[in-house]
Formats: sequence, C-alpha cells, structure tokens
Amino acid sequence: MKNRYWIVWMAVALLVMFAPLPTRAAPPQERFYRVEASQFEYRPAILKANPGDRVTIELAALDVVHGLAIDGYNLETTAEPGQPARLTFTADRSGAFRLRCTMTCGNLHPFMIGKLNVGDNQLLWRASGLAFLAALAGAASRPGREGLASILQAWRRQR
Amino acid sequence: MNQVNLEGITEIARQSQQALVEHRQAVPAPAMAQSRFAGNSTQASPANRFNLARQAWLRPLLISRWPQFLARALALAGFAFAILAGLFGSPVGSHNFAIVFVWIAWWSVFKLAFIPLGGRSWCSVCPIPMPGDWLQQGGILQKGRRLGLNLRWPKRLKGYWLQTGAFLLIGLFSALTLTDPRLTAWVFIGLFGLAIGLSLVFERRAFCSYLCPIGGFSGIYAQAAPLEVRVIDRSVCAQHSQKTCYQACPWGLYPVALRDSAACGLCMECLRACPEDNLALNLRPFGADIARPRTTQRLDEAFLALTMLGSALSFAAVFSGPWGWLKLAAFQIGSLEWVGYAAAFLALNLLILPGAFALAAWFGRGGAPLRSAFANQAQALLPLGLMAWIAFTISFALPKAGYILGVMNDPMGWGWNLLGAGYAPWSPDVSDFSPLLQAGLLLIGLFWSAQTAQRAAGNDLRRSAPVAVFCLAFTLAMLALLVG
Amino acid sequence: MKHKEWMARLFVLSLLALALGAPLIGWRQQAQNGVLLRGRMAETGGWTPENLSVAVGETLYLRLTSDDVLHSFAIGRSDMPPVDILPGEITELNLVFDQPGKYTFYCTRWCSINHWRMRGVIEVVGAGQPGAALESPLYVRLGIDLDSTVHTALTPEEKPAAWRGQEYTRLLPAAALGSEVYLTQAPVDYWQALRSTTALAHLTDQQVWDLAAWVWASNTAPQELEEGQQLYAVNCAACHGESGGGDGVFAAQLDQADPGEHTMTIPGGAPDAMPSAISGVRTTRPTDFTNPAYMLALSSARLQGKILRGGMGTGMPYWGPIFTESQTWALIAYLWTFQFDLGEKP
Repeated sequence: MKNRYWIVWMAVALLVMFAPLPTRAAPPQERFYRVEASQFEYRPAILKANPGDRVTIELAALDVVHGLAIDGYNLETTAEPGQPARLTFTADRSGAFRLRCTMTCGNLHPFMIGKLNVGDNQLLWRASGLAFLAALAGAASRPGREGLASILQAWRRQR
Repeated sequence: MNQVNLEGITEIARQSQQALVEHRQAVPAPAMAQSRFAGNSTQASPANRFNLARQAWLRPLLISRWPQFLARALALAGFAFAILAGLFGSPVGSHNFAIVFVWIAWWSVFKLAFIPLGGRSWCSVCPIPMPGDWLQQGGILQKGRRLGLNLRWPKRLKGYWLQTGAFLLIGLFSALTLTDPRLTAWVFIGLFGLAIGLSLVFERRAFCSYLCPIGGFSGIYAQAAPLEVRVIDRSVCAQHSQKTCYQACPWGLYPVALRDSAACGLCMECLRACPEDNLALNLRPFGADIARPRTTQRLDEAFLALTMLGSALSFAAVFSGPWGWLKLAAFQIGSLEWVGYAAAFLALNLLILPGAFALAAWFGRGGAPLRSAFANQAQALLPLGLMAWIAFTISFALPKAGYILGVMNDPMGWGWNLLGAGYAPWSPDVSDFSPLLQAGLLLIGLFWSAQTAQRAAGNDLRRSAPVAVFCLAFTLAMLALLVG
Repeated sequence: MKHKEWMARLFVLSLLALALGAPLIGWRQQAQNGVLLRGRMAETGGWTPENLSVAVGETLYLRLTSDDVLHSFAIGRSDMPPVDILPGEITELNLVFDQPGKYTFYCTRWCSINHWRMRGVIEVVGAGQPGAALESPLYVRLGIDLDSTVHTALTPEEKPAAWRGQEYTRLLPAAALGSEVYLTQAPVDYWQALRSTTALAHLTDQQVWDLAAWVWASNTAPQELEEGQQLYAVNCAACHGESGGGDGVFAAQLDQADPGEHTMTIPGGAPDAMPSAISGVRTTRPTDFTNPAYMLALSSARLQGKILRGGMGTGMPYWGPIFTESQTWALIAYLWTFQFDLGEKP
C-alpha cells in the first residue's frame, strides 16, 4: 500500500485495537447454571457472566458420560447420567471461551462445543471494527509495489 | 481463468504467438528491448521474481527425479497405512491414524503451509496419481510400455465444474467423513481407484486436473501463492520447434502459455525437459496471478471460489459452533434433518452466496456485462477464501493437536506404545492466541481481497466497493462464528 | 538406467510392505496376548464376544476396548472394583477364578438407556467346589406376586422422622421390633398394626408414623445407607432421579427402553420371562420413590424382588446376577430414606 496516508490508517487501526472501551461495572454476583450435556451439545450452549462473578456450573449428562473443560480456565470435570458434577470458579478472565467435551462421547465428540462469555467480547468488537477499516483500506489502496515484491527485489539486487 | 489444455500442435503455435503478443503488451518497452537482444534471459522475467532453480543448492534437488520420487513413495506408504488403519483400526476417530493423520495433521498442513506457501505444491508429492502415472508411462522413472486408452478429456467436462461438484459432495457428508475412520478409508480408496481408472482411459492427469476436489481447492488458491513455474524468456521458446516441455508435462500444459498457476502441479518435468534451460521456479509476490482485470467469461472459477467461501462458513457453523442440532443434522446422513442440512448447504453455496455476489458484481459492473463482471470480480474472493479456510482450520485443529501425538504412539488404537514411556497424553490450551490468530488472518484476507477487488476493477472504487462490502459481510460472519 | 528403475520399484514395494505388514505383525502378536473384549452401546451390539470361558485357577487375559463411548467392566456379585474402558484405548485386565460357575460381567457406566443390557457371561470350568448354591430369595420364599398392584390411601401428613419417633419407643410391644417386621411388612400394614395397639392409642397418626420410621431406622446401619446411596447414584439415579422422584435424565426416554424379554432363573422360583408380557402395559415413567401412596404399601421383600427380577413392563434391569445379597439390602435401606427421615435429630 503505497499511500501517503498510511500513517493515518495505522493510527486509526491502533485506536480500534487498543482504545479503552467503556466497561459496565456490575457488582459481582453468584451465578448458577445447570448445563445438560448430550450427544453432541451443551444446553444451554452459551453461558454468560460478568467479570468477577462467582459461577457454578452443574454438569448433567443425559445419555453417556460427558466432560466439560473451559478454554483458558484450566477447569475440567466429567458427569455420568444420574451423577451430575459441579464446577465453581470466579470468572476473572474476560472474553469468549469455548466449553469442550473431554470424554469421548461419539463421532462428533471433538466438535462438542459451548461458550462462556465473560463480559464483553472485545476481540469480536475490535476485530469487526478493524474489518471495516481493512475493507476500506484495501479498496482505497492505490497500485504500487505490493506485498513481498519490494523485499524480494531488494534481495535480488543484493545478490 | 485461463486453463491451458492444448488440443493439437497448431493450437500450441497459436497460443504461443498469442502469449508472445500479450507479453509484449505487458512488459514495458525498455525491458522488452532487453529481452529481445540480451543473451542473459533472466532479465525478461518480471523484476520481482526470484528464480529458485538457479540456486546451486536447490537445483540438483529439482532436476533429479529422486527427491520427489522418495517423497511421493513415502506419502504413498503413509496413505496406504492410513487406509489400513481406517479399515481395521479402532472405529474411534480420535484414536485412529486415518482420521487424525488425514484430517488433523495432513489436511491442516495442506491448508496452512502447502497452499499458502507453495500453491499446488502438494500435487508435486501427492501419491494419489502415482499408480496411474506408472501404468500410463510404463515405469516409475523410466518410460516403458504404455498402458491405457490415452483418450483426450471431453471438452465439455473441462474447467472447475466437476471439482466444485466433488467438493460439495464431500461437504454434504463431511460430518461423517471427518469422524469415521472406515468412511475416510473408503474415500481414499475411491480417490486412488478413480485416479487409476481415469489414467487408464484418458491421457495425462485427467483425475487431478478435472475431478480431484483437493486439486481444485489448491488450484484456485495457487494463484495467490508465492511460487510459480514459468518460462524465463519467451523468445527462446518461439524459436524452439520441439515443444519438449509440453510433451513432458503430465498435466498437459504448455508453459509458454501459462498465465496463472492454477493448473500447474509444480512437478518440474518441464524444467527437466527444456534443452535451453529456459524454465524457472520463481518466488513471486503473494497474489501475483490475481490482482488484475480480466476479460474472462468463464464462471467455473467464480463458482468454485464461492463454494469455498460457503463451505468455510458452513463448516465453521457446524464444527466450531455451539449448535448441537446442526451437528446432528449434518451427521445423521439420510435422516430428514440431514436432507434439510443438505438443502441448506447447497442453497448457501449455489444460490445465496452466488446471488449476493452477483448483486455486488451488478452494482460494480461499470458498463460491462454482468457475466464478465461476475467472473472478473470473483478473483477478489480468493485471498479471503484462503484465509477463511486457514482460520477455520486453526480453530479446530490447534486444540486437537494433541491427538497427533496420541496416534503416533498408537496408530491403530490397538494399545501399542510406540513412543514408549516418554508418551503422555497432551491437550494444549491454545485459547490465548488461537482466536487472535484467527481474527488476524481473516482481517489480512479481507484487506487483501478488497485490494484485489480494486485491482480487478481497474482501480475504480465505485466498481470495487460492492465486492468489498460482500467480502466485509462474509468476514463479519466468519468472525462471529469463530471468535464470537 | 535400468537398475535405477528396479531400485525405485523395489523401494516403493518395500515401503508398501512395511506400511501394510507392520500392523499385521502387531495384530498377530497381540492376539497371543489375550482376548480382545470390545464394548459397544447395547443398541449397536454390546460386548463382543459375549461369552468367555476359562479354567479354574488359570489366568484370563483380557484386553478391553470401547468402540464408541466410555464403558466399564465389572463382574457381578463380586467385590472387584470396576475398570473403566476408554474409547479407542486398550485396558489390560487379568482375572483368575477360584471357583467354577457362571459369572456375569457387565458395564457400570451409563452408555444409553439400555446400558444395563451390556452383559456377558464368563464360564469358569474345571474341578473345585462350585460357588455356594444361591439361596432362594426372601420374596420367593414369601410367595410375593411382584406384579400385583399396590396402593394405599393411608399416608402420613409429613415425612415420618425416626428421631421424633424415638420418644415413644418404650411403648412398643416386643413383637413389633426386630428385622422380621422390617423385611416382610409394608410400612402401612405395620402402621395399622401399631394403630390398633392399645398402648399407643393416645398417639396421633403422625406420631405412630414417626415410630414406624424409628423401627425402620433401627434396622439400617449408617454405613449401609452410605453404600446404598452409592449404589443408587451409580445404578438407579439415571432413571429414578437423584432425589428418587422418578424424574431421572432417562425418564423421558423410557419409551425407547428395550423391554425385550430377559430370562433369568430365580433360585427356588419359576423362571420369569418376558416381563412386558407379564404386565401387558408399558409403563411410561420410572417408579417415583417419593410417592408414599405407593412406597408405603411395599415391603422390603417386595422391593428386593423388583430389584432382583426387574421387568415390570419397563426397561427396569434385573440385578440378580449383579448385586450381592448385602448390596441389595443396602440399596433397599437407602430407598426407604425417600419416605422416612432415618437420620439423627437435625
């Protein structure tokens, strides 16, 4: 992108990436979710919490033994039909985290997925903002020596 | 797109002339002058190409058939083992070599490395056409008694249509194919069988060029990859009457007429055959084949590119989404739910996305007929499609990378312990960087696609903007599915 | 040139031979290491093979694996701890039997509504004392018809509590104590007997119920209740519910339970077959153990029969070959906690 305004583009991009967003400060509360696991889903599949909340998940298996692990939270448990299991933790990390089954429960077991949303999903919002910027910057770019071309050329000249 | 498959020697001559004319037009006058008179032919290539075949350390490896042969033989043994494991190993996919090696290891490396760095480079080591090739040429390294009818591929069946269909077909059964070792084994037995069968009936690599869904996949994205085989100086070819490169090419391509890398399998046979040493394996900028206006009327590449977007979207929803009913619908083949899934999948790929894209092309047609605007602007979908596939691959393969170690230890699920006491199950937590990586790749793809749309529209923002909006909408949907 | 071609061919062939031959050699070696026992959901085949045999005193080498989900291997009427079987992995297990006879092996992990049908038999042959012949169970000796309808309208106002009834124990006639009462009488019959006792005439109906609860408590030990609770959670809660309400996770799927015939010989009794034919009606929900109108009309012996024989026109398993005598009584003791507060004063 040989564009005189590239500094402006970069500045806006950095702003979208790092500008602090207003956070809704909610007092921490207790949350209880009974999550029913069956082949190959969690119900409810999407759990919500505010940062700082004390979350208890009761995992109940409806057909075969299922497990539950939460990305980024280093928690794991398994439950058998008739024998639910509980996890209690403080939702101290913000973002969207995948729940994954940890006990092989059939063909689609590797794709048995749920979500824990703690606070706002800043990655999604910022990435969406950047997407608008990227589409605009790409479409507005002028032809020039693009990509690795100039680097390659320099390398060639050196040799 | 310009897929070069020559019908006869007269056509070769015609195309070669045409190529020369285009070349003259494309290259600025001073460079042209040099290429006409200079003895050092490298100067005729565009300035931003770097010829790897001129590297002293690499050249012997490219010219000799042995390194490639060894790689293909190893890959053949690997796939044979995968088929055996799929048929007789544990039916539990996560503990079967066939599933883990094919769909997690190979399929990921294919999309993360082979395509983005080398275009169709996988084709150069792919074992699937090997047995057919040997029958066709009567030997592995040496040509002997040929087998087969050696027919020409029907003209009507050329292009990407069959490959698009094959890819959609695989997509319809993906939830089972991806998780069932037996079915995976049969899919690969089928691919080998088809490749052998077709090479006995048709000339050269009919299966790879027109049927292989993996070939179609890597073919369209090869245009964005930084690797190409090209003629160094076309004027040298113009004076050469033998066309040894065309005779040698298993893909039936004539290198002088190559305008993009979509159909070239990087097998290096032309490099080996050229008496003038006039062929190069070039490193080139990313996207070198795509960022330019085209006057093609062909819709097959556009539909394949749209199918790639549509299947990335559907697979992200099915496999990485939280909707169990959708997973079951995709999995329970033959059920009413599956019929619904199949209808939705086909509608998305063949109606909804093409419809939306046609709308964008119509707004941005700028006086051109819709059909050519559609075909021309479709090249803008390639970078985004490639990045969307890479992002989707990362979303499911990275968290499951531990399976690879598991099947190295016990490939059949029979309780082997090949890694010995050192083996411990490993399940990496990649949640810190994996979503960031996926979002970053999608954004790069979007920027690149918008830029390509702008180039394809002759740098006219009014014509490229609708396509950029289409790409933006797709990116937002992928972001929501993968990191939402 | 010629020999290069042959080298290439040899190379390809030897690589292929290696790729295809290595698993074959591995398979043959393993076949010598014992019997491969595959577990699958009952709907897709259960155990393969279902019948095993071994001689007394010899080691049965088992290589356990699962083709779908988590299963577990255990032997009925034994104190062997269950062994989990992970999908796609091999668990090795060596068994030695001291006594000849037929042993039932079964899955202890819920793997579908018909999970309990994952059963097989190990036939142990050879010399030696066969295991002590099973005694005819109490319900058979009492001649209880398991399929007759039971119901009572006489139910307490609140859950009877042993600790409340303790106050009046000195009023109880000696004949009203002892395990005989607990094992053979339905609580409501016992309550009626007490009700007509003149020594207790001044007590309220609820106080007499509390007294009955105390008698039931005096026949159960805390560790027995603990064992029963454990057995209940593992084997019963999936259908009957964690709190006994007949609302377990499988309750709604009961119509998918396979009511197919199962033949089991009860020592001393007639062979019970085809439970669905016995009642003629398919029950649509598992028994609610918290329902006093039903439970208080049952005796422990009748509960024993229902547990051992199963059936009842539902997918109710038969536990005769699985539970030991003491396990069955521990489970029954725990079932009474759904009707009676058997614990200490809170």
